[in-house]
Amino acid sequence: MAQSRDLFGSQRRTNWMLDGAAYLIVGLVTLFAVFPLAWTLLTSFKLERDIVTETIQYIPHELTFDNYITLWRRSGFPRLMANSAVVTALSVAICMLFGSLAAYSISRYRFWGRGLLLVFYLVIRMFPFVLLLVPIFVMLRAIHLLDTRTGLALAYTAFLLPVAVWMLKGFFDAIPPELEDASRVDGSTRLGALVRIVLPLAAPGMIATAVFVAIAAWNEFLFALLLTSSQGSRTWPVGLQLMVGEFQLPWGLLSAGGVISIVPIIIFFAFVQRSLVRGLTAGGLKG
Amino acid sequence: MSHDQGHRFAQAAEAVRLHRRDLLRIATMTGAGAALALHGLGRAKAQDAPISYWHHFTSETEMAGMERVLEQFRTANPGVEVVPETVPNADYMAKFTSAALADGLPDTAMVTVDRLPDMWGMEGVQPLNEWVDAWELKDAFPESVWSGATIEDQIYGVPAFMFVDWMYYRVDWFEEAGIAGPPKTWQEFIDAAIKLTDPAQGRFGFGLRGGDGGEGIMIQVMQGFGSPIADEAGCAALDTAKTAEAMASFLGLFTEHKAAPPSAPGDSFRQLMEAFKTGQTGMIFHHTGSLTEIVDALGDKVMTAPRPTATAGLVGNIAPLFNGMPKLDKAEAAWPWLTQWGEVDSEIAFLEETGYFPPNSQVASDERVTSNPLYAAAIETMNTAGLPPQFPGYPGWSKQTVLPAMQQVLLGEKTPEQAADDLAKGLQTATGC
Amino acid sequence: MAVRERTDAAVSPPREVRPRAGPLGQIAEISERRGWAYLLLLPSLLLVAAVVIYPVGSGFLLSFRRMLVNRPRLGTPWIGLDNYRAILEDDVFRAAAQNTVVWVVGGAISQFLVGLIAALALNRALPGFRPARVLILLPWLLPSVVAGHMWALLLDARLGVVNDLLLKLGVLDSPVAWFASATWAFPSVLLAELWRWFPFFTLFLLAGLGAISEELYDAAAMDGAGYWRRFVDITVPLLQPVIVASVVLRVIGLVNSPDLLVVLTNGGPGYKTQILSLYAFQTAYNSFNFGYAAAISVVMLLVLVVFTIVYIRVSRVTRE
Repeated sequence: MAQSRDLFGSQRRTNWMLDGAAYLIVGLVTLFAVFPLAWTLLTSFKLERDIVTETIQYIPHELTFDNYITLWRRSGFPRLMANSAVVTALSVAICMLFGSLAAYSISRYRFWGRGLLLVFYLVIRMFPFVLLLVPIFVMLRAIHLLDTRTGLALAYTAFLLPVAVWMLKGFFDAIPPELEDASRVDGSTRLGALVRIVLPLAAPGMIATAVFVAIAAWNEFLFALLLTSSQGSRTWPVGLQLMVGEFQLPWGLLSAGGVISIVPIIIFFAFVQRSLVRGLTAGGLKG
Repeated sequence: MSHDQGHRFAQAAEAVRLHRRDLLRIATMTGAGAALALHGLGRAKAQDAPISYWHHFTSETEMAGMERVLEQFRTANPGVEVVPETVPNADYMAKFTSAALADGLPDTAMVTVDRLPDMWGMEGVQPLNEWVDAWELKDAFPESVWSGATIEDQIYGVPAFMFVDWMYYRVDWFEEAGIAGPPKTWQEFIDAAIKLTDPAQGRFGFGLRGGDGGEGIMIQVMQGFGSPIADEAGCAALDTAKTAEAMASFLGLFTEHKAAPPSAPGDSFRQLMEAFKTGQTGMIFHHTGSLTEIVDALGDKVMTAPRPTATAGLVGNIAPLFNGMPKLDKAEAAWPWLTQWGEVDSEIAFLEETGYFPPNSQVASDERVTSNPLYAAAIETMNTAGLPPQFPGYPGWSKQTVLPAMQQVLLGEKTPEQAADDLAKGLQTATGC
Repeated sequence: MAVRERTDAAVSPPREVRPRAGPLGQIAEISERRGWAYLLLLPSLLLVAAVVIYPVGSGFLLSFRRMLVNRPRLGTPWIGLDNYRAILEDDVFRAAAQNTVVWVVGGAISQFLVGLIAALALNRALPGFRPARVLILLPWLLPSVVAGHMWALLLDARLGVVNDLLLKLGVLDSPVAWFASATWAFPSVLLAELWRWFPFFTLFLLAGLGAISEELYDAAAMDGAGYWRRFVDITVPLLQPVIVASVVLRVIGLVNSPDLLVVLTNGGPGYKTQILSLYAFQTAYNSFNFGYAAAISVVMLLVLVVFTIVYIRVSRVTRE
């Protein structure tokens, strides 16, 4: 990360201005990001009758944990969460593994069909889901992976892998190939150079990509709805959607569901952030 | 290797190690997943295999009601297991269609009266005549209810419960305004809506549903004004003049008289209820399904009444819900599950939990129903109202053509005449004739 | 400064041969073979091809047929370009197409700009920014159904906080029904989408910025380059691959996944917020017209392909 450093006397003032601007921007953006979430959090602690009222309660008359308790008890929520976690983990694993290899190849080597291949990966991603639904249903059924977590992860991989490849290619592109060349001259194999030089430098990018895949898989709803059942590998977003019924919208419950949804991801991200920082300080960034 | 390089190598090696662990996990998961799926498949072939049931109950009361019916079913049919599966109502047809195309339909499924023709069209429901005709409770349900499940003399579902259209109105507002009672004719309704509107107090006479679901009411108004929708053959038969008249009158409440809240073009069920419960609107059109919620919020400030009657009839329907069988492989075991919903005890239990109206006429004349003054409107409506239109393509036309056209009129982008033309054209396309 | 030299798979610098022992070494030796580049591609290609080729192919072919799922008795006859001709005459398609352009362009630009500015600010890594980074990411983490309904609640005509605050501040005389208004429905949805997706750009651009070495900036500063100069000459070019990748992906996401839009307005009121992907979905699952839905999807696909190729060419990212 770029540290704000003051070089010479005259630079200090510029840095204060920039730093001030940075604080202002970050403050505003954080407020923008957090305000709706804070409202969601607040709503999750309100009773339903305090949400649907004539005058909005900024400070609720009564705080309650009922929404969280109800959520925990009903709709098999722990199992849904577990399913989501497994499907997400699988999707991330497959996408990162296969995606890194492909992205590295496309980034480093010029071969026939390279441009076409890039577009091909994207074309896959571009095809609207509407028409992918039924054929994927049929295919998963044929290989007996319908309503399984692996099957769902495979379906997700289908449209997340191209994303991973594209993002990773972008990050690999930013790493000068001279480093690997130097390493090869020292006797490393190509694979060795990939593993020893490129991967550590690409760590921030890889983690960002992993986070993207994780979030996309964790929050995905449509495929999960159509390809799983409650007895099998139904995931958390479907469970949440079920709260929005035909004749009722339990605001408190839904808000609690949203809050609970974020918690595992925050933990995942906090964990990943720590390794990111460790990775960076250990590896260092050389120009 | 320098210290730096060593560090990086260790890190990268860690990354690789993780990847290998993941590979192992993938392999085991795939194996386990395949094994589980095969196991599941294997189980399904057994004779006393569980019966899958797709429904769109989501609220606590509905689930509680279903649970009681399930209990009664289990007592009467030990050894048969029913596995319910909740599908959100908005996505029900998407899931059903995909399953129909990919051969993944459940053993039993909930069928609403307006969805039946499309489900029948995609061969997602099987005829049940041989069982229905032998059922001792068959005559407990009026012909009008059975007709909702019948296409070309074949019966495709067993009645479970019913939504009876009615309206709620604020008794206190009516008293204040000096209006004698709930409106009975269409003109009385329009007049009442205008009279009850008082912007100074933030009051609007009518909660017009211009969002999702509003198309159903609009179509009811059209029928009330005398426009048929489709003819016997299921072909488009819209009377554009009467349709335009209906739209002008009904939507004019918002565009001309401002008797509906400014959010009307986007108001769906939730907003309708919220506006009524927080005292913004004086009348709303809905059905028996929301009774408990409304009464809980407004107590004796609210009363129910039958919908107003326009020139050609009541502006409202009765809408029974059925349970049908997409597949007949487990018909013998599944049939008792379907009929369980028609049993008197189950109907009463469900009514107690949800307030949903029983289609069984025996139950409807039960004291628990007749003694409640709030239900009087529903009982009256049951004798006068008909079923909503039923033909393949109806739900699609109503959602994709009627609703947007209605919203365009509300926003002032189209005149009722232009909208009526759009409806006629769209209906032609939807029905194909 | 040549940052993006590419080497031919067979012509990378010679390696001082040091044979490696053990299985890891043997695996590593594979990387010395020719075709190593293709080997790297194989797993992902196979997976994608296996899962996607059939659906995409069948969807493409379906666009040339009439397929009404609720009327299977009509069969699925081949009707050639009839579906596409119908598209040309479809008013709803036209409205949806126009909206899609505004949705994509407006959405991508707003999300990118806000994301970039946030990333640049966060990149200074001042004290207190670490928790801010996590907080800023949160909108993206929230499931669509919750995010959508939350914004519906925030901007609700009766229960909405935004209306309440604006009334109290005197900006409004009476509450506005944001999602039911002809003028405000689209901007409101764009705002919700901005809130939800700018963190995506922030995350990726921040990662990209993090890979740019500090020394480059120092050298430039010593040469007397100001902030703007450093930004234009160093940051933007080095960030280019990440920018292109993230913009392309977000454009695809905007075109194909209108999650928030479905919850907030579902294409209404009228056709004010109707976009092509939603129209295709409704055509398939409300009107049961799979053939027409396929045709709409193919048109969307073609437009996206053209856009992507043009954009990539213009940004010259694959040239290197």
